[in-house]
Amino acid sequence: MRLTKSRKATARLLPLAMLVGVCLSFVPQSLRAQSGEPSETLIRNATILTITHGTLENADILIRKGKIAAIGKGLKAGSNARVIDAAGKFVMPGIVDCHSHSMLDAINEGALAVTSMVRTRDALNPNDVDLYRELAGGVTTLNLLHGSANPIGGLNTVVKIKYGRPVEEFIFPGAMPGIKFALGENPKRSNFPALPGVTRRYPGTRMGVEEVIRDAFTRARDYKRTWDEYRAAVAKRERDLIPPKRDLQLEPLVEVLEGKRYVHAHCYRADEILMLINIADEFGFKIRTFQHVLEGYKVAKEIARHGAGASTFADFWGYKIEAYDAIPYNAAIMTRAGIVVSMNSDSDERARRLNIEAAKAMRYGNLTEEEALKLVTINPAIQLGIQNRVGSLEVGKDADLAIWNGHPLSVYARVETTFIDGEVFFDRQQDLAKRAELLKERAQLEQAEPNRPPARGASPPSPRGRRPSQTDDDLWEGDRP
Amino acid sequence: MPRVQRRFLAASVALLSVVSSALVPVEAQRSGTDTYAITNARIVTVSGPVIDRGAVVIRDGLIVAVGATVNIPADARVIDGSGLTVYPGLIDTNTNLGLPEPSPTPAPVGGQGGGFLAALLRPPTPSTSNSTQAVGLQPEILAEDLIKPGGDLIESERSAGITTALTAPRGGIWIGQSALINLAGDTPQQMIVRSPVAMHVGFAPLRSGYPGSLLGVFATLRQMLLDAQRYREAQRIYEQSPRGLRRPAPDRSLEALLPVLDGRMPVVMYADREREIQRALDLADEFKLKAIIAGGADSWQLTDRLQKANVSVLLSLNLPKRTTAAIPEADPEPLRVLRERVAAPKTAGKLAAAKVRFAFQSGGLTTISDLMSNAAKVIEGGLAKDDALRAFTISAAEIFGVADRLGSIETGKIADLTIMRGELFDRSSRVAHVFIDGRPIELRPPTPGAQPGNSASGAWPLMVDLGQGELAVTLTLQQEGDRLRGSMQGALGSVDLANATLGPAGEIGFTAPVTLEGQTTEASFSGKITGDEMKGAVNITGRSPGSFTGKRPPPAPMSSER
Repeated sequence: MRLTKSRKATARLLPLAMLVGVCLSFVPQSLRAQSGEPSETLIRNATILTITHGTLENADILIRKGKIAAIGKGLKAGSNARVIDAAGKFVMPGIVDCHSHSMLDAINEGALAVTSMVRTRDALNPNDVDLYRELAGGVTTLNLLHGSANPIGGLNTVVKIKYGRPVEEFIFPGAMPGIKFALGENPKRSNFPALPGVTRRYPGTRMGVEEVIRDAFTRARDYKRTWDEYRAAVAKRERDLIPPKRDLQLEPLVEVLEGKRYVHAHCYRADEILMLINIADEFGFKIRTFQHVLEGYKVAKEIARHGAGASTFADFWGYKIEAYDAIPYNAAIMTRAGIVVSMNSDSDERARRLNIEAAKAMRYGNLTEEEALKLVTINPAIQLGIQNRVGSLEVGKDADLAIWNGHPLSVYARVETTFIDGEVFFDRQQDLAKRAELLKERAQLEQAEPNRPPARGASPPSPRGRRPSQTDDDLWEGDRP
Repeated sequence: MPRVQRRFLAASVALLSVVSSALVPVEAQRSGTDTYAITNARIVTVSGPVIDRGAVVIRDGLIVAVGATVNIPADARVIDGSGLTVYPGLIDTNTNLGLPEPSPTPAPVGGQGGGFLAALLRPPTPSTSNSTQAVGLQPEILAEDLIKPGGDLIESERSAGITTALTAPRGGIWIGQSALINLAGDTPQQMIVRSPVAMHVGFAPLRSGYPGSLLGVFATLRQMLLDAQRYREAQRIYEQSPRGLRRPAPDRSLEALLPVLDGRMPVVMYADREREIQRALDLADEFKLKAIIAGGADSWQLTDRLQKANVSVLLSLNLPKRTTAAIPEADPEPLRVLRERVAAPKTAGKLAAAKVRFAFQSGGLTTISDLMSNAAKVIEGGLAKDDALRAFTISAAEIFGVADRLGSIETGKIADLTIMRGELFDRSSRVAHVFIDGRPIELRPPTPGAQPGNSASGAWPLMVDLGQGELAVTLTLQQEGDRLRGSMQGALGSVDLANATLGPAGEIGFTAPVTLEGQTTEASFSGKITGDEMKGAVNITGRSPGSFTGKRPPPAPMSSER
């Protein structure tokens, strides 16, 4: 009997314990020694995975004013520096996730086929707990993409996970602006039931997807011409000119035509990948990355020739028809074809273990350790145009890095501390130390009047444990059908 | 009182007819006798010191004298105010009072068709004809044009001591323009104190059509403001020299945005959470709009920004509280929610301390008598009583640009008075008299647990049928005005609702990430609430459409001790 009782108690405590993790996220300020954040940090005696300059054993890394100031042996720091002895531990650059929907209060604007006027920047939630979990997985940079409901979707935002800070501080300074495109089943809405009385959105076929993109760029070209003519007329001092309408839908597409905005295109099948390359060639722009690109191995040569990058999954497939012809060797084959390849998460859950996704490419395809690590560091940084700031450990780069207790390509490795711009945004010891306090706070809050349950109220919400991620854009298709 | 009044009136008419013959119109005679004096009362003027024992004289709808020693006109009806306290009439700064239920709301555009769902979502008649914009995106809609005098809601509100309210159309993104109304009068014209007062903006997506997400809402707001800027420019150029120019097409929607762009008309933006307020203020900065935040639950976290940008807050007194019963097996509530509920009554005090101007709104409280008890909680939460009174009176008047005629007891101001037995924020006090535009109002005894009307708030046990037997879930909804939040627990997981919307006729829609056979996927619910019943359709990607139905149990009896 007693056993049963204690087991019950444990069962009751379990969700509580899980909640503690959730709770932590809401007091990020108190987790970090904000005022006492030293301007110098010296990490000593670590194995340093620089990514671009090999691996250094028993080496030090000096962080000053948010940048990597020195890497080498026997480094010295000022007397006020924070010194971390990382003997037996590994330091690697912060992981860059090239496909994320974390911290977005809305992911898809699915009402139209072309939604280049919408901006993920308008829907950021800096308090999203997933961000904290991602920091705990050594991730520091995210490419926040619009969903895949439309052939041409909304504008992206590249962020550093400065959890607990005002949202402006998240924005990655100088990152190239981008836009989401999507091909295949999602934009043609094939996995959505036809609702009685509701007209289905165009396009409904792959042909239609192609037509929508071609039409949009034709309009964008005309729009650009209208403005060019207006500006020329103004320059000639013509008077009484009514300026053309500013069109927020077409402006980003003009930027694509001018090479000022990266295209990140969700795709699966080889034929649609070739289709988009043809359209890009026709209008004279470049695809920066193909996202998911599960059949990329079939057209790796063509992707490489176009100069596009590829951002894929290690072994996630079969969740719909167009995702059946995938192989785990995809990343390796595309890498060997000369493509800059990255592994992305497209999931708040997978984002916590992108190091393992990278490791799988060693098992399937025989990538070297360094090539595998590049899949989640310098390669996605190149794909986002931020390789001069992050993605490797080099003097002068941003001090975005994580200390791991084991080799990050091992399933047993765990992040100890995550730095962004030289500041600690996750620390496992501080996290553990904080939990008792949070439990106490919860107990107090539950006693407060507005939190006490009424004598009669709604029926019991059943315990469900942690809710799984639902932002994988292939499962989570939008705000509305 | 009306009977007495009528008898008195008859007497005066008789008297007057002797003096000036019976040719004077009845209306003029009536207003000539609308003189009242409240004597021996404590008077809280708000604009000046409290008068411990004095009188207020009102005539022709205006305050004509106030002070410790005042000459009482011979023709005044005298109310002995011993034991009473006179306050300026209280102002509710964000309501839909006086507006008919089927009013402009977001609704599908185009795509006519039959079927169950289409019937549910059929758009209400747009109130402006020939608009260039879809319903929900029509800034030209004026509350003024829709107001109907009388009605239960107005009666119960003024019985709670509210004399004046800002009333705005319901629903939508460009919601339309509000009017400040006195809660008495036989015609809309008699009620209106000022119109239009402000442009109202909501951030909930339309139920159908574009924009269908928060992302699209911002893009749409931005595009229309840009279009309005160009419209203004095009009109200017054309008016200067029309010859040789194709005339710009007139556009009432864009025209309505010009005062907003010029900063002549403030924009009331509905935002509660910190990030929602930030986004609203970012948009205001981008287009140099004069922003007012309505709701403002998290505004205490942004006092610096609000104060620097001189943004006022219409703070909701619809304080959150737990509505679900205690069940040991249930998931603990998120810490964030627990914190928000405890922080809510402290917001006003923090705004006052940071010198952010704010006024109170009832925030869709279904039981209006909770307004004063919630105000008392806010005072316990750290707001000085004086500041609480200002937030009900002069601050509201200042925010709406009517401080020269409302919001305090001063000679020459509109005679809106709330007269209490006891002190305003004491839980034992009662409303004794209410004067609106100088006329006494017949008070209705408060009805505890008043009918929730079309409110969706409450716990709804639902049965969801997805083709494999019925699944039991509990939907917990909280409605604030036309905004809706909520969560769902039960056989489909334990989740927060997204994109929840409520239409004027009870059309409800929301999405929720549900867990089915171990897979989490997005379900879209749309249906209709009729009284305490709810039913509708569920759509999940890759499944055939399902249905849901449920009945809300009667509300728990109000506990007297809170």
